[in-house]
Amino acid sequence: MPGQLFKAAAIAGAAEANEIGFLENPVTALELHIQAIKNVCDQTGIPIAKIEGVFSTGWSTELCEHLGITPKYIDTTAVGGCSFEMHVHHALAAIHSGIIDVALISHGENGHSRRKIGGGGSGNYGAGAGALSPAAEMSMAYGLGGAPSNYSHAMVRHMHRYGTTSEDYAHIAKVTRDWATLNPRAAMYSKEKHPFGGPITVQGVQESRMISWPLTILHCCMVTDHGGAVLVVSPKVAAGLNNKPVWIAGAGESMSHGNMLEMGDFTATSARHSAQTAYTMAGMGPSDMEMAMIYDSFTITVAITAEMLGLTPPGEGHTLWKDGHAAPGGKFPVNTNGGGLSFNHSGMYGMPLLVEAYRQLSQTAEDGVHGDKGKQTDARTCVVNGTGGSLSTTGTLVLMADD
Amino acid sequence: MGGDPKLSYNKPIPNQGNHTKPFWEGAKNGQLMLPRCVDCNRVHWYPRHICPNCHSTNLEWIEGSGEGSIHTYAVQHMAFGPWAEEVPFVTAYIDLKEGDRMLTVLRGVDATKPEDIQVGAAVKVEFEQANDDTFIPYWRVVEE
Repeated sequence: MPGQLFKAAAIAGAAEANEIGFLENPVTALELHIQAIKNVCDQTGIPIAKIEGVFSTGWSTELCEHLGITPKYIDTTAVGGCSFEMHVHHALAAIHSGIIDVALISHGENGHSRRKIGGGGSGNYGAGAGALSPAAEMSMAYGLGGAPSNYSHAMVRHMHRYGTTSEDYAHIAKVTRDWATLNPRAAMYSKEKHPFGGPITVQGVQESRMISWPLTILHCCMVTDHGGAVLVVSPKVAAGLNNKPVWIAGAGESMSHGNMLEMGDFTATSARHSAQTAYTMAGMGPSDMEMAMIYDSFTITVAITAEMLGLTPPGEGHTLWKDGHAAPGGKFPVNTNGGGLSFNHSGMYGMPLLVEAYRQLSQTAEDGVHGDKGKQTDARTCVVNGTGGSLSTTGTLVLMADD
Repeated sequence: MGGDPKLSYNKPIPNQGNHTKPFWEGAKNGQLMLPRCVDCNRVHWYPRHICPNCHSTNLEWIEGSGEGSIHTYAVQHMAFGPWAEEVPFVTAYIDLKEGDRMLTVLRGVDATKPEDIQVGAAVKVEFEQANDDTFIPYWRVVEE
């Protein structure tokens, strides 16, 4: 008997870049990708705009941005030359589950040309690095360095559009620190743990060192060491666990751009779309959520995301914190571990979001090791949202406590 | 960073791509060259191998007006390499008159008075020679 995924998807077409081999005129890896994509879409009659899932060895964000498409399934599995067969496997699962109907699997690698011009991908900054991605080529001259120097532009645009102030966002840093003071594992738990730890004030946030106006350092997350892991299992396995499972009610993903240069609306992220997908899958909406774990790389990140998740009207994300709702004891707890702002942020903060959401929904947040009194909430549902890049990519989950 | 000792330019200088050559050639003559799709007639930035709006590969270069307005901005107090010597300086995203957006370091503004800078303010492009082949566009706020 064939398995459940037997003939669940088909390869509709296959093509290559216009010229391949030992090319005399050097090409970038990006060019090879784009040519092959154009050719396979011409061959099949499937327009590029209809691509819903993008699978590549690390290139997916750049490809989507270059093509101007916003997929709802993004895979960058890069485990060597067999990655592309695995991409087919992953696409098969995504199509079978009904998430997407059209998956692009793309390859571009200038193994020959890169000896002359370099790879031509993102991140090749500096002299002698060879070909740049065109976005890097047109951005690298202007002195931006690191995430704060980019995210500040989003805050200024939000302030312009909605009349918010940087002090509005400072409340987020203050309230998130309050959560950290309930979490002995938080880097900023106390003055004893870290010289800059313990409670902070809105005024203190505003008067801390300026990094990229209007972002002071206390509007920015830390850079720490962190490791975490989760297991996702079938209901059958979940039924036999020693500990309580937390159920995945909904999931969605999306992206709007890779480089901030391509961010169409500086006051919005693709969380609007990834959340919609997750809520629809869950059969629930923002009003059904009882807490949230939201990536807070910067205060502006979490404020905009709250708006995108439908937790507040547009322009009012910061009010969740300013009005105390998101604080310990408030009616809608957010970032109960102390956030990337005050718990831990190692560079990619998505995993701590998952760990804390599990602890809250399994009622293990206040276990005497991971949380002091007042950290455990009684939430039964949690919306989790990770943001990547420069407000570029988003993944949203709706999680539920076990019955 | 490469650099002509005759020139004082000490900031990072982009390596030029094959498909962006017309932009850098235009910059030498003080022209802001922009890629436009022949099929859908829309200008896009940064330069693509394919139109990000309609996915045609029928692209051309036009001379832009060099006019635009501030979409948003920030003041950098922490920077790296040679830019570290320039802090504070103002970075901005510029809405081009022809459509789409460019990043720049803004000129003609006071970085110590960020509240005085206006989103929507008119700006004009100018070019600074970085080396023999590279003239880098910067945008300056137009005096009212």
